[in-house]
Amino acid sequence: MSEGVRVPVKLVIGLAVAIALDTGLQLIWKIGVADLPDTSISDAAVAVATNPIFLLVIVFMAAQLVNWLKVLDHADLSYAKPFTSLSYVTVCALSVLLLGERIAPLQIVGIVVVVAGVWCVSVTKRSTVAPPVATEARPALDQERAAVRRPQPVAEEAGVE
Amino acid sequence: MSPVAFGVLLVVVSTMVEGFGQTFLKKSAIDVARRHRWILLGVAVLIVEVLLYSGALRFLAVSTAFPITSLSFVMVTLLSHWLLGEQVTPLRWGGVGLILVGTSLIVAQA
Repeated sequence: MSEGVRVPVKLVIGLAVAIALDTGLQLIWKIGVADLPDTSISDAAVAVATNPIFLLVIVFMAAQLVNWLKVLDHADLSYAKPFTSLSYVTVCALSVLLLGERIAPLQIVGIVVVVAGVWCVSVTKRSTVAPPVATEARPALDQERAAVRRPQPVAEEAGVE
Repeated sequence: MSPVAFGVLLVVVSTMVEGFGQTFLKKSAIDVARRHRWILLGVAVLIVEVLLYSGALRFLAVSTAFPITSLSFVMVTLLSHWLLGEQVTPLRWGGVGLILVGTSLIVAQA
């Protein structure tokens, strides 16, 4: 358990970047979708293609993907994914701080509950030990190697004598 | 089916699709020999998710659709366990449950 609790700095930074990018994406997405024309799907598609905000969305999504793949190299999906819920907290906080929105008492309860949930996940083991495929393949390989290695010392001894 | 029910169905399906997309991305870290294939598959599936969600917003208000998207945390956890064999302890499930409730409370007012 203690091994799982000690989280490498790389992973912490990766998760923080994921939350930051997710926050940016959610704010931009809100603005972008609100701007979409309601008339038809083709009008919406044209609006998507020509709106510079959607270019920004694509850049953010690409950065998000690269960072997320790095995070998944170091942790279970079921460990990493829950951390992204903190972006709901940051979006809410930024809406209050930047856009001057009012925060409802229930939202404050929600923030506390989300943080408690993330804490629960954060104290669990961050990677499930050896994937099943690797453990099955190894014994056969080791036996093969041992079989190849065994005759060698005999040949060396013969050479010395 | 009423437009609202159809919208809700689209959002729920989009959260399942997100679960599969994330599972494929994680697969790329496990099955390194076919890393690029898994990434491409994951990205393609996540694009489908975005299209489904955007489609749902034509039938639903964001204030209705957004809280439902927090179901994706449950979907991702379920599929991590079923398809990737990850150990999901009761504490981790408890955390996911709290996150589901908490995020719904936050965005229900938005």
